[in-house]
Amino acid sequence: MTFWNQGKALGRWALRAFSSATRSSRSATPKTVFISQSDDIFANLALEDWLYRHHDFSQHRILLLWRNGPAVVVGRHQNPWKETHVGALHDKQVVLARRNSGGGAVYHDQGNLNLSFLTSREGYNRRTNLTVVANALRREFGLEATVNDRDDLVLNGNYKISGTAAKLGRPNAYHHCTLLADVDLDNMKGILNSDDCGIETKATDSVRSPVCNLSSMHPGLNVASLMGAVGREFLRSDDRGVDLGKSAISRQLGFTLVNPTDDWFPGLEKSRAELASWGWRFGRTPDFTVRREFAVPREMCVTEGAKLQVQMRVVKGRVASMSVTVPPGFVSNAPEGEVAVLSGLEGQKFSEEAVGLVEAAFAKKDKSDKKKRFVAECVRRVVQ
Amino acid sequence: MVVCSVVVRRLLAAAPAAPRHVFTGLRWVTSTPVKFNERKYTDKHEWVQVDGKIGTIGITHYAQDALGDVVYAQLPDPGQEFSQMDECGALESVKAASELYCPVSGKIVSKNTEVEDTPGLINKSCYEKGWLFKLELSKLHELDGLMDEAQYEKFLKTDDH
Repeated sequence: MTFWNQGKALGRWALRAFSSATRSSRSATPKTVFISQSDDIFANLALEDWLYRHHDFSQHRILLLWRNGPAVVVGRHQNPWKETHVGALHDKQVVLARRNSGGGAVYHDQGNLNLSFLTSREGYNRRTNLTVVANALRREFGLEATVNDRDDLVLNGNYKISGTAAKLGRPNAYHHCTLLADVDLDNMKGILNSDDCGIETKATDSVRSPVCNLSSMHPGLNVASLMGAVGREFLRSDDRGVDLGKSAISRQLGFTLVNPTDDWFPGLEKSRAELASWGWRFGRTPDFTVRREFAVPREMCVTEGAKLQVQMRVVKGRVASMSVTVPPGFVSNAPEGEVAVLSGLEGQKFSEEAVGLVEAAFAKKDKSDKKKRFVAECVRRVVQ
Repeated sequence: MVVCSVVVRRLLAAAPAAPRHVFTGLRWVTSTPVKFNERKYTDKHEWVQVDGKIGTIGITHYAQDALGDVVYAQLPDPGQEFSQMDECGALESVKAASELYCPVSGKIVSKNTEVEDTPGLINKSCYEKGWLFKLELSKLHELDGLMDEAQYEKFLKTDDH
């Protein structure tokens, strides 16, 4: 009853739309397209989470469309240091975020469109959602996209244009995916690395694929035109992804611009702060061990080809333990200095803080001691 | 396009808030005491087996089958406290992270580190080696509201799961 009363307040068109939708096929749940007005990755992730936690999707489906400034977004159980060069992101003005869904690391910028299909747990079906997206691309741009066995959208059989991930809860669930409209691919390739950084971990891996922009296949295609195309296709499709015809659009609940703030969604700011916190982004990294070897300069040791090894165990994003293995002849006198500095690293955040500590400690000591500076440099390279 | 926070609030306020958990007509009040080591089930397809005040928790065969191959298990840490139906961890399988819900209130006593190392144990042996965590129950009466094996089998046959 409440919904009918609220429907009147929305206006005659909304009421007609909802009642038509319920009178029509039982398989066409009433749908709305939300478009976020924010380009802050953390606010948008918080908005998605708010809808997942608070809304009743038993008689309603939402497609949330959003985009944000440059960001690397890792999956819930991933290791950010394995997916990108974390230390370099700040200078490139790229933020690091961790989402709540599974899957691998992706790069976002303003040329990437994010789509979140929010449903009840029973209504979750990502292949249906991807079929709707593929239908939109064909209908409005004449592009032929297919869904592969990894649930990626692929153009012309070769190039990935979309990556998918999902979060399943009860009673709600969501499937979200990216769409490469007009992304800076050179930037993306430079940022998402698969260098061997010596990390051993149980964290989930990313699977790299060749990618391309939709705009390369259809000049003039951009995020705005994609939003309209996908939104309309979503509204005209039933729950199995079958097209009900253009007239079905007007029987649905249309497009709505939304602002991810506390004013519109009470409690959202707290969620945003949590998603942006170091504790979530880095502290949630599955425990890992990092091991790197460095060639020791000839003048510092007795044998040719000697190596110095730095090993760290990182738990919840902090250095839990660390050891340095030096080659024979490397340590001549006062090894206690190095040990004291290195044990002080325990408990420090892996990355910036640890590097700062090493630099500060060695600045106090005899600057001309090359060996100590060499050890510090090796530790710095492991952490960054 | 409609740009109006009032519209959005009404649109979302119109539908009831998502219930935390639903025991639709399946809550059985029982006067018989829980048998030792009898497994009890939730409608979120998790099981709990109690020995004294310590409950061992895992997911059911239906759940592991629906998940597919588990590639990562994020389990709660010893010392953490949860209320019934709180989200307490996640299991990841082919790009989907599925929430784990705490079936009864209590404090985590231990987690299965073997499953953390080898998440596939959940698929292979969900009732034995693939147990997830143990907790000390703080509200034993919550077990009364869970299903026994016969009730859970019946629940699986309905459309509502």
